[in-house]
Amino acid sequence: MTSRIMEVYKLKKVGLGVIGLGYVGKIHLKHGMKLGNTNLVAVSDLSKRALAAARNAGVKRTFTNYEHLLKDADVDAVIIALPTHLHLKCATDAAEAKKHIFLEKPIARNIVEAEEIVSVTQRNAVKLMVGYPLRFNSAFRSLKENMRNRTLGDIEIAHGDYVSSGPFLHRAESHTPVPVPEWWFNKQLTGGGALVDLGVHIVNLFRWYFGEITSIKSCLGYRFNMDLEDHAICLARFESGTKAVITVGWFSQDYRLEVQLLGTVRNITASHAPPSGLLNVARARVEMLTKGMSRFHQAHLAELQYFANCIIKDLAPSPSGEDGLKDLEAISLAYRNSVELKM
Amino acid sequence: MSLVSFTKARKDDFDSMKQAIREALGLIEHSFGEEKNVIIKPNLCYYWDYSTGQTTDPRFVAALIDLIREQMPRKIDVCIVESDASAMKCRYAFKMLGYEKLAEDLDVELINLSEDENDVVEVAAGNQTFQLMVPQTIRNAGLRINVPKIKYMSREGVRITCALKNVFGCNPYPKKFRYHSRLAEAIVATNKVMKFDLCLTDGMIVSGIQPCRLGLVMASKDPVAIDVAAAKIAAENPMKIQYIQLAHKEGLGNTSFIERGKPLNYFRDRYPRKDVKTQLLGKAYAVVARAGLSHRLGLE
Repeated sequence: MTSRIMEVYKLKKVGLGVIGLGYVGKIHLKHGMKLGNTNLVAVSDLSKRALAAARNAGVKRTFTNYEHLLKDADVDAVIIALPTHLHLKCATDAAEAKKHIFLEKPIARNIVEAEEIVSVTQRNAVKLMVGYPLRFNSAFRSLKENMRNRTLGDIEIAHGDYVSSGPFLHRAESHTPVPVPEWWFNKQLTGGGALVDLGVHIVNLFRWYFGEITSIKSCLGYRFNMDLEDHAICLARFESGTKAVITVGWFSQDYRLEVQLLGTVRNITASHAPPSGLLNVARARVEMLTKGMSRFHQAHLAELQYFANCIIKDLAPSPSGEDGLKDLEAISLAYRNSVELKM
Repeated sequence: MSLVSFTKARKDDFDSMKQAIREALGLIEHSFGEEKNVIIKPNLCYYWDYSTGQTTDPRFVAALIDLIREQMPRKIDVCIVESDASAMKCRYAFKMLGYEKLAEDLDVELINLSEDENDVVEVAAGNQTFQLMVPQTIRNAGLRINVPKIKYMSREGVRITCALKNVFGCNPYPKKFRYHSRLAEAIVATNKVMKFDLCLTDGMIVSGIQPCRLGLVMASKDPVAIDVAAAKIAAENPMKIQYIQLAHKEGLGNTSFIERGKPLNYFRDRYPRKDVKTQLLGKAYAVVARAGLSHRLGLE
């Protein structure tokens, strides 16, 4: 073990492999190439087009089968950005190949799979971090700072809203819709709808702010007649005594990610919004092309940098696999405790 | 000259829509005959529901079906048709946008034209030639009704879309973006091989620069005339819209028409049309697109 730690300490840059080059995988790819403490070694995806784009961006090793990527000795850690139903298999393979893991949220589609992922990473002594960029967003971090300094007093009520078009991505400016991968429509593959997709972000953030959830209920909505909910409202209570209203939805062409803390001394709001309007979108894209990142995705960059630092300095990352599991447990409880509002 | 009628639904409900449709059809002197079957083509461009103004309201289609059944002497088969698109799959769109429920409630069939039997036909429009698939459901239909929306589109030659563009959606080939470099010609070519008998525009909510409740029902048997009317309502010059001019040239309809019902200007005054800023942004888009930078800048 000591020799392994020594070996890790010798690392100046973490050799990264990205598995899955969908929306968020591409963001990690760009960041992995830009960061000072990472060396993006290889990528894997089924799409030959995505691999060609990665090669054009400068990635030398590209694979259609991630198992080949896991055999690459230069890869110290992998970013798993695959559909949720593939998390368990891929994380297990990566852990057994002794690769540290950065796993996109939600950790898995159900608690059994999440427990297995946590267990396999522990057995193989590899680090597991779950991707929750809100924890690295400066606006939401400043709320935590305010709470630490007690400048808000006791937080009696918190509101967390995350409403967007979800997987039904489109660019309102150009009215060009984006195809939706089939797995998004299948509850068996996703583990749920908007509540698990977006709700885990807020649940994780609020657990960080207020401690563990003591009770949670939900009201699920099905505007789009799908088997999975496209919106939900949750009422939760935390160890600190704070009550929270969590609102999530996939139904809106607009984007709203906002947290409001109502304290005995002060009320405070923090939000995060993508660039809107042609000029801002174009500016963000130019930033992406020239600097390799846009301000909107700064938190993704910070979380990856932190993950690499955890590997170099042999620290336990947070949010950890256990955090991912607890978030999923809270969401599962919310599903079980769903209530119907009568007309 | 063609007739185009304009009526306004008093409320946003089934009965008001049905009444407005009845009036609009009466004004163009349309009556349903002895057809054995009817197909209805709504506009389901993506998984955006009717509240966005982007897709046809299923209640509007339900009101139309109710009227058809009321006026036709015997029970007829009604099919609602749509095809897969680059970013949309019919089986999800029918479910998500309320058409699956409508089909159950009204005992009508939903047909994905991309899964239908089809014949390949060669057709020319302007200086372009296309090999287009014509679905048998469309070919064999007794009465074809087009139920489009009025929408802006930031593409050269296609600044506003309505009836003619909605028929382009009957092309069973899913990757329709491949036609975008010659979209005006592709729209006209599709209309040449798939002719609809009646156009009934759902302008209950129009998208415009933002969604707005207009309550408009517009009817005509002439798709070119109804598109000219749509362009005028959206304050666009129909003479500058390439596919409308080409459709007229190819004999698909007239660019001039007789207005019936409420004045067109009543709806034009209320349409959420583009302001100066949006027009400038549209021009900027066009420049970016012409320079081939849309994709790189993430605008497509």
